[in-house]
Amino acid sequence: MNEIPSNCPMISSKTITARRMMDLAIEKIENTSIHKINLIWLEATGCAGNIISLLNAENPDIIYLLDQMVTLKYNNSLMAAEGAGAFQQFLDTLETEFILVVEGAVATKDDGLYTVIARYQGELVTAMEAVKMAGEKAKYVVTVGTCASYGGPSAARPNPSQSVSVPQFLNKEVIRVPGCPSHPDWAIGTIANLIAFGMPELDPQSRPIIFYGITIHDQCTRRSYFNNGIFATKLGEPECMFKLGCRGPVTRTDCPVRQWNGYVNWPIEDNTPCIGCAQERFPDGMSPFVRY
Amino acid sequence: MGNKITINPITRISGFLEIQVEVEENQIINAKSSGMLFRGFEKILRGRPPLDAIYFTERICGICSTAHSMGSTLALEDLLGIRPNENDKMIRDFMHGCEFLQNHLRHFYQYTLPDFARGPEIQPLYNVTHNDYRLPEKFNRELAENYIESLQYSRLAHEMLAVLGGKAPHTHGIFVGGVTVNLDASKWIKVKSILASIKEFVGGRMIPDAYTIAEYYPDYFENGVGYKNLMTYGVFDTYLEKDLFYVAPQVFIHGELQEFDPEKITENIHRAWYEARQIEQRPTEATVEENVYKEKAYSWIKAPRYDGYPMEVGPLARMWLSGDYTNGISTMDRTIARVLEARKIIGIMEGFLERMQPKPAQQGQYKFSGEARGKGLIDTTRGALGHWVATENEGIQNYEIITPSSWNLSPEDSEGVKGVVEEALMGTTIEDLKNPVEIGRIVRSFDPCVSCATHVISEGYSPVQIRIV
Repeated sequence: MNEIPSNCPMISSKTITARRMMDLAIEKIENTSIHKINLIWLEATGCAGNIISLLNAENPDIIYLLDQMVTLKYNNSLMAAEGAGAFQQFLDTLETEFILVVEGAVATKDDGLYTVIARYQGELVTAMEAVKMAGEKAKYVVTVGTCASYGGPSAARPNPSQSVSVPQFLNKEVIRVPGCPSHPDWAIGTIANLIAFGMPELDPQSRPIIFYGITIHDQCTRRSYFNNGIFATKLGEPECMFKLGCRGPVTRTDCPVRQWNGYVNWPIEDNTPCIGCAQERFPDGMSPFVRY
Repeated sequence: MGNKITINPITRISGFLEIQVEVEENQIINAKSSGMLFRGFEKILRGRPPLDAIYFTERICGICSTAHSMGSTLALEDLLGIRPNENDKMIRDFMHGCEFLQNHLRHFYQYTLPDFARGPEIQPLYNVTHNDYRLPEKFNRELAENYIESLQYSRLAHEMLAVLGGKAPHTHGIFVGGVTVNLDASKWIKVKSILASIKEFVGGRMIPDAYTIAEYYPDYFENGVGYKNLMTYGVFDTYLEKDLFYVAPQVFIHGELQEFDPEKITENIHRAWYEARQIEQRPTEATVEENVYKEKAYSWIKAPRYDGYPMEVGPLARMWLSGDYTNGISTMDRTIARVLEARKIIGIMEGFLERMQPKPAQQGQYKFSGEARGKGLIDTTRGALGHWVATENEGIQNYEIITPSSWNLSPEDSEGVKGVVEEALMGTTIEDLKNPVEIGRIVRSFDPCVSCATHVISEGYSPVQIRIV
């Protein structure tokens, strides 16, 4: 077992929690002259599950995000406008200062035609083109979810759409906020950091350390079972699921302490193993998700 | 010659959809529905451990992932010959109910409402692209407030799902054998109290809001009609108790009810970007390769047909076939059936809560060997969902999925028969060619999910031959 040194930099960075970060950001927005920055939340090759996860956010919720933190200019799932008028809003935003959030990978096969997000002046606009257009001009690029961050399920072998991650595709610094889906706090907390304090402290894979600093295993509520060699033999049991294939030891997120959906639960508490959904090699490197 | 109108993106849906129509004298004379996203999940699933299909197929769709955990779990249970016990089955069906509520709330308020009412005055939820808003200011304000209010309740629907399933979207707790949660009184009372608050919102706001819209847009009971052929695979249909039962598998063609026979399901790739030896295949033998440059093709969505017919699926089909709603088949009827179905499902979920016991989940160790196949057909939020799986030794040999949105959004087939949404658009009067608001309203009434509809294809392998031993 790793010993945790008392001067561990992760621990100290963890003392500023995401919530505190958001509070500070909110306070700063209210008290200073911070202007709301434009945001494009671009859905590319994926399941649109990260915007759904974002709708699950609370304190701040999506309305606070849109009302007080950013001006969302383009998002396929939420925007009232449709058709060419909608895509025009995307184009107009490129001439402003904005944050680009991408969810979904970049399908590159056949000139990107496996994901078409709009038609403009008669021409198809692929997600690949849109990521390039917006990515080059954005003040910050944030990938939310594992597909955008690492390729994820969209790029799983044999990768029929030849999907790649946004950092692979763009020659530019990208902040990765992985997770399948990404926790809404991770996405909003990262945006809060950007608008109030600038670039968050990132790990070598460009993930914000406040959320991705420590492995699930290190903070797992079932860690004492692991230490004592007591293991579950099937789902539904209360012990450590390491022998069922739990990927907690290699997965860096704060799921055990943050929890999900109103902070009520998380997969291990539901007696199922972590499947490493926020990790670089998800899903291929995390298979089988469950083994006996 | 007619005018051609293209809407792409059709926003406020899940995934990417293009609708093209030709209009002559303000009437739609031709319509094309094109799914614009392809990932190839079925190809990706080949060779993977069969149990991975549950969490993997959830990733097809962010808004209805629990539907796919249900379909895949049922297919694997069919293959393994496993049946969950009654308690675990009720908990699992309750979780599926949570997904219905999350979807219906979000579809009505976030996706449908901005078609008819000006949304909250927050970018980009506030619509300024057309002028056909008919609600008096007072009602519009109420609906915009409820748009915001509703976010709390769709979130809570996912919270219930997480209490029982770990997290949402992409929940963990639905699995072969039933569920993984060990229900206790604390979890039980938590979901019970949340459900009560959602019930109040659905009954007090959502249903009245739908009728408010209907009152000011009566013409939408006349358009978006389509074929009137309806289908359901059944959902909440394994219970004898009346208050737990919803709808059994059945089809309704040319005004006649028929028994549902899964052998009559085919998929046609005539206008889809795929090549195959046969243009029409059964889901157990689907063998296609994608070709985005295929001439005259216009969609990633295949054309599923039942006995050759395109079938409408979804809340209206279910509510009609169960006898709960028989007012009509149209754009507005779809929206009303959806909100009424939310109430219906809450009632069923209450029935589960009355009966479920705080008992440990019954889980086993599941092993695969030899050749086997299974299917999981169930109605989910958007309609009839089918998963067909074949395994060989310890891996998936073939996997085929036909989603509800494939049924509704399909392109024309090789017989020249249009898809359901395409047909529903035909003949529609477009009042203002510069603002063809009718199109988006009709299309959204089907709650399209293109992430689901175009996930697909299988490898060019021959079907598994099942040996009867």
